[in-house]
Amino acid sequence: MNVLFLVVFIVCTALICVRDPSAFLPALLSGAERAVSLCITLAAVYAVWLGILQVAEDAGALRGLARGMKPLTKKLFRTENESALEKIVVNLSANLLGMGGAATPAGISAMRLLGAEENARYSRAMLFAVNCAGLQLFPTTVVSLRAAAGAASAYDVVLPILLSSLCALIMGVSLVMLLCGRGVRMGRAGMHKEGSDNGGSVRADKKGGRTERCDMRAGGRKGVRR
Amino acid sequence: MSWTAYILPALCAAVLLFASVRKVKVYDSFAGGAAKALPLLKNLFPYVAAVLVLAELFEASGLSAALSSALSPLFSLLGIPEEIAPLVLVKPFSGSGSLSLLTEIFAKYGANSYIARCASVVYASGETVFYLSAVYFAGIEGKRPALPVAIGLISNFIAILLGCLFCRII
Repeated sequence: MNVLFLVVFIVCTALICVRDPSAFLPALLSGAERAVSLCITLAAVYAVWLGILQVAEDAGALRGLARGMKPLTKKLFRTENESALEKIVVNLSANLLGMGGAATPAGISAMRLLGAEENARYSRAMLFAVNCAGLQLFPTTVVSLRAAAGAASAYDVVLPILLSSLCALIMGVSLVMLLCGRGVRMGRAGMHKEGSDNGGSVRADKKGGRTERCDMRAGGRKGVRR
Repeated sequence: MSWTAYILPALCAAVLLFASVRKVKVYDSFAGGAAKALPLLKNLFPYVAAVLVLAELFEASGLSAALSSALSPLFSLLGIPEEIAPLVLVKPFSGSGSLSLLTEIFAKYGANSYIARCASVVYASGETVFYLSAVYFAGIEGKRPALPVAIGLISNFIAILLGCLFCRII
């Protein structure tokens, strides 16, 4: 991100100097202004949703929901962290219902909570990829916009949107599994009967110290259980 | 008004009622949750500001316009109508920007056209990847999100390709 920021910034600055140097500062300031107004909007959105979420959490509703989806989410995100899984479930269901405002705060809390985990890199990448696909059961914004613009059948885009979102989801999930998932075996470690985890940690050696360590930890815990 | 408008109020009311049945102090609990909003934003703001300043600079330098005109032949080769190239490029950066482009396309080409349908798919079938990465990875120490961002961009782009294809078939 640091390199990207530097390169884009320098290239754009050079270009803007060629065209119109006096536009440089206004551009920076209007960007910052957008950030301020976005954050004010977000503050309102977060206050509402974090409030409602807290009520749901205190009532134990989130825990129930998370427990119901745990078999699926545990495998996908490879984490055992209960509170992170709760937030992930909220994030996913809010996304499905098209409530981006509710999804983002929960997603951010989940990203933070995952930080304490062994597989943080993998779990975060997976959560991010799933969010990027933006799968929605019913794309309310587009359909209402189309209806307002006088489309003959405003709903004829629903199926293509659903299909292509699904493609994005499948692509994203499998790419994360392929590129970040090597050597991360914790979610499955408990299921192996015996012996196979050795192969796992040998393979992880190539990926460097971090993954190797967490594989060994997973193996160690399994040893205790046995 | 369609029935989807009722989901949200019903859901929130259900949560509050359920909580009161469970003897949760609803008012205190809500306030406790809302109190977390500002600390969260304090952490987010610097990164959001950095990304948006960069996005604005990108727009003002003319680089985004040049890039979209340079890429439009490539896009039409891949089956994406070149009229929606700016939308494809803006989409990862800004939700509000791509929304205004979408309404522009609806007004210009008519909501029933193939172009408008493709634009709808482009708008709805992905998320604003860079914006999300700014928000999600903000303040997470030393973790470079380059790989997840690349994955998100690639899978969304393929989804756009397939979406334009679906628009032609369905």
